[in-house]
Amino acid sequence: MSHFTRRHWLAQSAFGLGGVAAAWYGSQQTGHAAPPKPSLEQQTFDLSVKSPAKPAQATAMISMFMQGGPSHVDLFDPKPELTKRHLQTFTGDIKYDNAGEASSRLFGSPWRFRRYGQCGMELSELIPCLGDAADEICLIRSMHTGVNNHGESINALNTGRQLRGRPSLGSWITYGMGTACPDLPGFLVLTDPSGLPVLGVENWQNGWLPAIYQGTVVRPQEPRILNLDPPSNLKGGPQDRILAYLKQVNTRHLERHPGETDLAARMQSYDLAARMQTAARDAMNISEETEATQRMYGIDQKQTEDYGTRCLIARRLVERGVRFVQLHTGNQTWDHHGGIFRALPDICQKTDRPAAALVHDLKQRGLLDSTIVHWGGEMGRLPVIQNEQNIGRDHNTYGFSMWLAGGGVKGGCIHGETDELGHKAVTDIVNHYDYHATLMYLLGLDQEQMSYARPTGLASLLDGQPGQIVSAILRNPPVETET
Amino acid sequence: MTVADTLRVMLALLAMTSVAVICTGAAVAGEEQNRALHFESDIRPLLKAHCWHCHGEESELKGGLDARLVRSLLKGGETGASVVAGRKEDSILWQRIQAGEMPPGKKKLSTEELSLIGQWIDQGIQTKNVEPEVFSADIVLREEAEQHWAFRSIHPSEVPAIRNAQLAANPIDAFLLSELEEHDVSFSDKADRATLIRRASFDLTGLPPSAEAVERFVNAESEDAWPQLIEELLASPAYGERWGRHWLDVVGYADSDGYTEQDPERKWAWKYRDYVIRSLNADKPWNQFIVEQLAGDELLTPPYQDLTAEQADQLTATGFLRMGPDGTSSSGVDQNLARNDVMADTIRVVSTSILGLSVGCAQCHEHRYDPISQSDYYRLRAIFEPGYDWQNWRAPNERLVSMWSAEIRATAASVDAELADVSRQRTEALDAIVAETFERELQKLPAELQPLARSAREAKPDQRTEAQNQLIREYPFLNVDRGSVYLYLPDRLTGFNKTWDDRTEEVRKKRPADDLVMCLTEVPGQVPVTRVFSRGDFQQPRDEVQPGELTVLNSGDFRISPDDELLPTTGRRLAYAKHLTSGHHPLVARVLVNRFWMHHFGRGLVGTPSDFGVKGERPSHPELLDWLASDFMREGWSLKRFHRMVLTSNAWQQTSVRRPELEAFDPENRLLGRMSIRRLEAETVRDALLASSGQLVNKQFGSPVPVSPDDVGQNILAIDTRDSAGRPSGTVIPLGDEEFRRSIYAQVRRSMPLSVLEPFDLPTMTPNCEQRASSTGPSQSLLMMNNEFVRKQSEQIAQRIIRENGSEPRAQIESLWMLLFSRRPDSEDISTATEFLMADAAAIAAGVSPPGDGSVPGSTPAAADASSHVPLAHLCHALISSNGFLYVD
Repeated sequence: MSHFTRRHWLAQSAFGLGGVAAAWYGSQQTGHAAPPKPSLEQQTFDLSVKSPAKPAQATAMISMFMQGGPSHVDLFDPKPELTKRHLQTFTGDIKYDNAGEASSRLFGSPWRFRRYGQCGMELSELIPCLGDAADEICLIRSMHTGVNNHGESINALNTGRQLRGRPSLGSWITYGMGTACPDLPGFLVLTDPSGLPVLGVENWQNGWLPAIYQGTVVRPQEPRILNLDPPSNLKGGPQDRILAYLKQVNTRHLERHPGETDLAARMQSYDLAARMQTAARDAMNISEETEATQRMYGIDQKQTEDYGTRCLIARRLVERGVRFVQLHTGNQTWDHHGGIFRALPDICQKTDRPAAALVHDLKQRGLLDSTIVHWGGEMGRLPVIQNEQNIGRDHNTYGFSMWLAGGGVKGGCIHGETDELGHKAVTDIVNHYDYHATLMYLLGLDQEQMSYARPTGLASLLDGQPGQIVSAILRNPPVETET
Repeated sequence: MTVADTLRVMLALLAMTSVAVICTGAAVAGEEQNRALHFESDIRPLLKAHCWHCHGEESELKGGLDARLVRSLLKGGETGASVVAGRKEDSILWQRIQAGEMPPGKKKLSTEELSLIGQWIDQGIQTKNVEPEVFSADIVLREEAEQHWAFRSIHPSEVPAIRNAQLAANPIDAFLLSELEEHDVSFSDKADRATLIRRASFDLTGLPPSAEAVERFVNAESEDAWPQLIEELLASPAYGERWGRHWLDVVGYADSDGYTEQDPERKWAWKYRDYVIRSLNADKPWNQFIVEQLAGDELLTPPYQDLTAEQADQLTATGFLRMGPDGTSSSGVDQNLARNDVMADTIRVVSTSILGLSVGCAQCHEHRYDPISQSDYYRLRAIFEPGYDWQNWRAPNERLVSMWSAEIRATAASVDAELADVSRQRTEALDAIVAETFERELQKLPAELQPLARSAREAKPDQRTEAQNQLIREYPFLNVDRGSVYLYLPDRLTGFNKTWDDRTEEVRKKRPADDLVMCLTEVPGQVPVTRVFSRGDFQQPRDEVQPGELTVLNSGDFRISPDDELLPTTGRRLAYAKHLTSGHHPLVARVLVNRFWMHHFGRGLVGTPSDFGVKGERPSHPELLDWLASDFMREGWSLKRFHRMVLTSNAWQQTSVRRPELEAFDPENRLLGRMSIRRLEAETVRDALLASSGQLVNKQFGSPVPVSPDDVGQNILAIDTRDSAGRPSGTVIPLGDEEFRRSIYAQVRRSMPLSVLEPFDLPTMTPNCEQRASSTGPSQSLLMMNNEFVRKQSEQIAQRIIRENGSEPRAQIESLWMLLFSRRPDSEDISTATEFLMADAAAIAAGVSPPGDGSVPGSTPAAADASSHVPLAHLCHALISSNGFLYVD
């Protein structure tokens, strides 16, 4: 490395290693995600803002991932026929976890549905707060992944395939777009106090994308980010000098280890950490919010305090330019194989108010138009009983519901249908490929351009899978003639 | 490549994928026109996928046809035989499929699949094995198992011949080179000695080499310097702590019960941790190690008293089966659920650590990918059922076994008797005071009331007259008792209590300290029945099953006797352990050597170390894996021998620099044409810091160093002094030097991960850790920048450097490089470090920043006043945060 380039690199401040790799491996590409290049001549990987290939309607996304599989027939998808045939034997073809031992008795939802909003969206009495936001959300009742296991269906929705090891949605989005907030990680994950969801840290893995696109976890309790404050005797000058020298040392080390993206990512993470020291504290400080706002999220109630706080933090992060925030509920929280009478109302009480508040709050701050909000799990549940002794419902990935709001998605919209019993999606089916194609479209990311060079060839979120943009739910759908 | 081209390629790939998925093992039809087809491998998977649902699995056969056996195809259904050997045109099976009539619905067989069926009929409907009279799912499982590499028996291959034989130091090299040579590449250069000693030290001991060791090794002229170094490292007590940690990961070692937020402490788990460390240091053969852990108690005779050290070890070893979360002593849990969860977690630990399989899904239904049935799962569970017996549960504390000798027990008994005696005397003395108080107070009453008052006191509370009750309400002293007497005589009672407390304590001191072992034992004669639980629900028990190995792993006729007559226990676990270590098990040795390999190279030959099943990764070098596994068993299951072989291979000694010619086809380094660089694990970062500062305390074994939250919510090594409501009391009880012990001795509270370790991917034990992650993120950087422990270590390293080298910067820098990077600095290292020291000192002198952290304990050497040690501490802080320190080349 020449003297000039190192100087050049040391002079970088806003995006830190935004140019270590630049100095090392060639000039920095702007405008698009890095184009593929042959192997050892490394690409530039950074978190600087990439202008989208196509016009973007959304610039950020918040995903409320409800791991376990919320029961759509009890929450989102009313089925009068199911109620009518309550406890009758289901004779059609159905896929159970265990065909030999499942009950085939239909089970109508014990909860009432009513119409909400001007759109008249029918929702369950378990989620009344969401009802108040019905005109802002788009409810998709025809989701389908077709893989009946948690891990695989999570992967399908979160990485594009059933397989393990692929980059997560947040990694792809930060890879494709960078982050508008240089002082915080572009991809943040807010985990549940009770623990990690199924697949654990794989939910925010970068897979084979460079490590800087990995999600950063915000702890569920204070201190939400450990070691955020420098001690008084290091703060300012001394720490700056230490970090500048550290960068020098690491640069020489990287010179001896060409192509190790992990080493380069760690250099970037020191730059980011230095900036986070003030930015993150600020972002997590919900005491700046008015009492009314806190109440809106349910932070004053024990039931909703945790999830409400996390939703509010998510809004504060997006407000600051964080690209992708994912909130997780605990391990299998929504996996109601049994005991659904108690467990489903319980978790709805914890999440309903905060989730709806997030939509309202983004709206009132003018952020909803540019932020995609997602609420959903990896599956729904079967219309028949599982476990007669302690009633629950089994997995169903053939038809389930989730909702989106903001970011160019139509409000007060219902898309797709399941059959008369809520078993299989039958009209306007949306699979994980379609979901991803739609997100990419809203974010202005070109599927082919947003690809990453692997030795086996170009790889992308969709990887050539037949994902269709779900135009019907979009305020500005793609022009038909576009190819 | 144009978009159209891309699409074409993808479509082609897609087409190939679907073929490969649907016809397992049946590649492109045209190429293999003459291959002999067999029902089991070629046809059955097709029929199973497309036909069995109606023609076999449902209780009523559609059209009367059962398509699961050739025998039943020949018998056919209502329309006669389905197949006619040698004549596909006359076979209804072929006709109906060809006509598109079968299967009904949209999903049809592909042309290739149909022609495969036709070809099989024309070849004369052959089977590989003689078919059973009646269809049996177990036989299908077993036959399917034969198709999966990991379920086939271990087949030691010949060491391959390679082009450049001189490059192979041992068979490991030959196997690896033979793959690399296929790609016309070879090994990378050998790493230099400084790199090698650092790599070897971290690998085998988890600690950096001392500066002296580096000097000695780098300058050694003897050809044996390398093997000698390996021997030294293997002989170090630190070796067992390092490799013990690896095993404790898969075992899920923890010092607390988990399961609930209460997360009660497990006060005796550490004995198992020590057993593991001792076993590894002693190079205990792994077959013995496994037998002890699965069935150490069955090698002994209950009631497990007066054990020799070796016997105590065997009992302690079964702690392996007690490591999972156990909520049965916590309040507010569903006991039956919690008990069954303990068993499920235990089975998971056993299966992932030793079998390399996740059998858990078969708890509720047939395993979806691996040929493991639900009955299989419960057969496995039956092996552990007598030890657990969920309907006659023993709480964690009831499972502890005392290690006291007869003599100590006698001492304890006599102390206990004495204590009881003291307690009795105390009560008598107290009663005397109570009586005396009553009499004195009574005298204060008018004489005429005294008889009524006395009778009121003596009457039973529920038999008192209204007059007596009235009097008591008026004169509460009538009720004076042991608890309230202090109200009348506060000073006297204080003195009384002190006297008796002291006396009690004096006696109690003579009682020997508890010495318990956390283990799994059986209650002789108590043999519970194991049943398959429908959907894994213990409230829905179904058929009884007998203990046994998973069908797919039982190629012979291995049987476990439900209750071994010759043993006081059932002998189930012992029989199973012996079967696993018999040398004929297809998985155990493969899984073990693969893990060992992973710890040496950063990645296993199978990249999914706890999933050797169908969904797991295929081995990158199957022949090498089998060679290693059989060599391991043949040569006595010695891990140290395995280390020697790996570390003396040329493969392990390569440099880690990426090469373009390798990157082109193997960027993940699966073929090992170079070494991979690796980040230090959480514990290793902390231990290396302590070793560098010289603060590391090499005290081995014993109860763990306690973890407790500090006032900002960080979990640090400290004695918990919070009050009962969890508020910090501000009291700090010094730990002595305990807080400087190696991380393996830090308490593992599941609910309180040590904050200095957590960001570096410290595993959470729920129940165990199959493979560690190695992530990179700002939380690690913030830790290195701001954490108090890290800052203090920089100060300590600086002070050590000054202590040992004086104040001359060059000597300081040279010594620092040896300490942290195990190599000498080059001229640029020296000049930039010197510049930093000068600039930092100048900035401090100019008052740009406040002076040094006064919080460093211990004395400051005279040579190092504040202004001279602070810049050096800053330098140290930067260097320990650097990639050169955090990674191993």
